[in-house]
Parts: sequence; C-alpha cells; structure tokens
Amino acid sequence: MSGVRTLLGLGLLVAGSRLLRIKSETIACRSGPTWWRPQRLNSGGRWDSEVMASTAVKYLSQEEAQAVDQELFNEYQFSVDQLMELAGLSCATAIAKAYPPTSMSRSPPTVLVICGPGNNGGDGLVCARHLKLFGYEPTIYYPKRPNKPLFTALVTQCQKMDIPFLGEMPSEPTMIDELYELVVDAIFGFSFKGDVREPFHSILSVLKGLTVPIASIDIPSGAGTQKVGQGRLGPYPPDSCPHQV
Amino acid sequence: MSSAAGPDPSEAPEERRFLSTAEAAALERELLEDYRFGRQQLVELCGHASAVAVTKAFPLPALSRKQRTVLVVCGPEQNGAVGLVCARHLRVFEYEPTIFYPMRSLDLLHRDLTTQCEKMDIPFLSYLPTEVQLINEAYGLVVDAVLGPGVEPGKVGGPCTRALATLKLLSIPLVSLDIPSGWDAETGSDAEDGLRPDVLVSLAAPKRCAGRFSGRHHFVAGRFVPDDVRRKFALRLPGYTGTDCVAAL
Repeated sequence: MSGVRTLLGLGLLVAGSRLLRIKSETIACRSGPTWWRPQRLNSGGRWDSEVMASTAVKYLSQEEAQAVDQELFNEYQFSVDQLMELAGLSCATAIAKAYPPTSMSRSPPTVLVICGPGNNGGDGLVCARHLKLFGYEPTIYYPKRPNKPLFTALVTQCQKMDIPFLGEMPSEPTMIDELYELVVDAIFGFSFKGDVREPFHSILSVLKGLTVPIASIDIPSGAGTQKVGQGRLGPYPPDSCPHQV
Repeated sequence: MSSAAGPDPSEAPEERRFLSTAEAAALERELLEDYRFGRQQLVELCGHASAVAVTKAFPLPALSRKQRTVLVVCGPEQNGAVGLVCARHLRVFEYEPTIFYPMRSLDLLHRDLTTQCEKMDIPFLSYLPTEVQLINEAYGLVVDAVLGPGVEPGKVGGPCTRALATLKLLSIPLVSLDIPSGWDAETGSDAEDGLRPDVLVSLAAPKRCAGRFSGRHHFVAGRFVPDDVRRKFALRLPGYTGTDCVAAL
C-alpha cells in the first residue's frame, strides 16, 4: 500500500452523482456518455475500478469546475450545506471502498484527516464524520477555521462524536506513518490559487514524506489544476494507479 | 432483529426497537441543537437513504422501463421535503420519478428542494387522478411522503387527503417514508383501514406504529445517527453493512 495515492475527483463525483444534464455550454462533460452516469456508491452496487479506468473521463479545468459549482448554487439552488454533506459522504464512501476496514491493520483503522481553511476543509469534516460511522477512527487536524456557522456546526458534529482534533501537526512523516494507516488530504480544492501559506506549506512538506496512503479530496493539495506540477510547492508525486471517482 | 446470535449481553435490557413520537422529536432536537446538524442536512441524508432503500427493494436491473417510473407523493411538511430529496436521488439512480406535491410549503428548504427537482426535469403533476387504475397503469411504484409522525391528518388539506384515499386502493407497490401516512404514529390504528405499504423506510429509528407494519420490507435509514444518541435513546438497531446507509429489519 505504500506510496499509493488516491485521488477523489470531487467535482466529477459531485457532478456525476447528482446531475444528469449540465446545461452550461462551457462544460463538455456531456460528451462523455458514460463517465457521469451516476455511480450508485451507496446502494451496494459493485465497484469496479478497472471499468472506471477504461471509461472516458472528462477532467474539468478550474474554470469549468467553478462553473459547475455556480450552476449548482445559482440555478439548482443547492445550498453549500447540502453539497458539502453529499460530497463528504461520497468521499467517505469512496475511501471505504478503496481502503476497506477489513484490509487495514488496525481495528478500527486510524485515519488522519487534514482540513484546510475553505470548503475543501469542510468536505473533510463531513468525510471524517461519515468515516467514523463506517467504522474508522478518524482524527482531524484543522488549524485554520473559518468563523462561519456552517463550519462551526460541522466541527461541533465531529466533537460530539468524539472525533479528536489535534492541537498541532506531527512534524515528521514517520510520526504520522506510525499512528495512522491513511491520511485524507482535505486542504485545498479546485479553487485554490497562488502561493501556499503557512501552516499548510509545512504540512504539505510533511505529507510528501509519508509512506502511508493519502486520499486527496478533489485535487492533491498544492497542485495547480491547470498545470499539474507547476505550483510553487508542486503536488506530492502523482500516484501510479489513480482511482478516479 | 439485530445481528443473528441473540441478545448481546453487554446491551442494557431496556434497549428497544421503536421510538414514541415524543422520543423521535427529542432525538431530532438533540441532533439539531446539541450536534448542530442543520435541518437541511438531516432531510438530505434521510431522502438520500430513502432512495437507496427503494433501490434495494426494487433493484433497477430487474425492472422494466415502466416499472422504473415512480410516483412520489409529497405532503407540505418535513416528510414531504424528504420525499423531494428522495425523488431527486431516484432520478440520479436512473429511476423515472414524477412528483405530486399539491400543498407547496413556502419555507426556503421546500422551495429550494422543489427547484432542484424542477431543474432536473422531474415532472410535477398538477393533479392526481382519483381513479386508482390510472395510477396503477402509469407507474411502477409509489412513494408515500405525505405525513410524518405527529402531523394531524386533518391538517394537510384536501388534495393530500384525497390522494391518500386513492393510494389506499393501489395495486402497485407502495413505499412509505417514516410512517404510513394516516397511521397513528403511536398505535398504528387505522392500520387496517389505512395505507398498506409494501415497504416502510423508518427515518433515524422506527416509530411505535411500525410494530403493526406487515409489508414485505422494513428498512431503517439511520446510519447518520451517532452512537451516543442511539445509546441515549436506548435503541437496539441492526448493524449496517459496509458503507450502507440503510439496514433491513
């Protein structure tokens, strides 16, 4: 399992699991007739990553991803709460399928969820809560918390479910490797631009040295969506067998 | 009802399988006030899980084109909101829902959920035929999201009451969300005279009237209920498998 990274394409997942028709002309994902057929992640349907890999998948640019989001909010009147709940649940489900509890060493398997300062972090909070319900033992590191009711409520939900919040980030990759079997990167999402500020710069450096698997929500944090590998920090090495959700 | 091997000695003897209406309301309040869940979150989780229950009771590959058509009848209150979410997820799951939602609530949650369904091209009927045979012919199954526990049947107005009267005569399968609409949530009285659903999807936990349910499948959609809350209400519920959000009772 070492060195395997899992990418959870949140925009794709969200769009694929909830929309059949996307009206915006800038998004060409309708041209892929099968990739966004809804995947019944929660209905006990079989998950075949071979089939998924061979299906034509359209990757969205940052502009397209933002356009999808805008359409969902403005035209479909989804609320951030709704989308975040569906997104976090879907991510937890995907993670549970990629790394089932029975395949992990510890019982319950320990997971470190690192949440960034924006919506990607919120997705991570929802994901952590559902991972707990699925039988994992998540711990959250959430250094920069927006002072908005949505996020404070999500934190409360996690705290009430006895999910611990770390006071500081382990400074060495080996410390994380020893304590956790999986790390969920919910630091930055598709709207990330510019330089990576502290404490996230240091966090990403630590993540680069991990041997346990990392599941990234939406994009590997620090990767520019337009030009992979050219962000200031650069993403950690892309994985050799990506699981596209 | 829980896992096969008999009562778990570590479970308190007073753990039970049903909630009273007051307890169900208290459980919801705990989630909203102590756990700071939003109502929209809970409605979304319940509606999604209800749709998943439909896929388990009526798996798509086994259905003909006509059998995939689902009529979702939504009342004006929270049960109706759950129905709207359920319809949207059924659409995503490749069923063909149609909604009858005659008494539209003005609150923002209901309005947004309605918009989402409309934008996904889910048709809304402007009236429901009183001739039940027309419904039997047009749809493969019906989802009853009219009345939840604690809502007075008399309160919901003419079109819903008439719809329920028609649904009593249905010969295609009926799925009721939370409680069969019109049943007394405590006693299940009117169970003989009222709706006879084939499938009951209890939301969060079964209500007392579920004891009188005699249809084919009873699911509980309560994966999202934290363990501590389950323990607080002394609920003994079946284990959920894997990532499933519903469990069969």
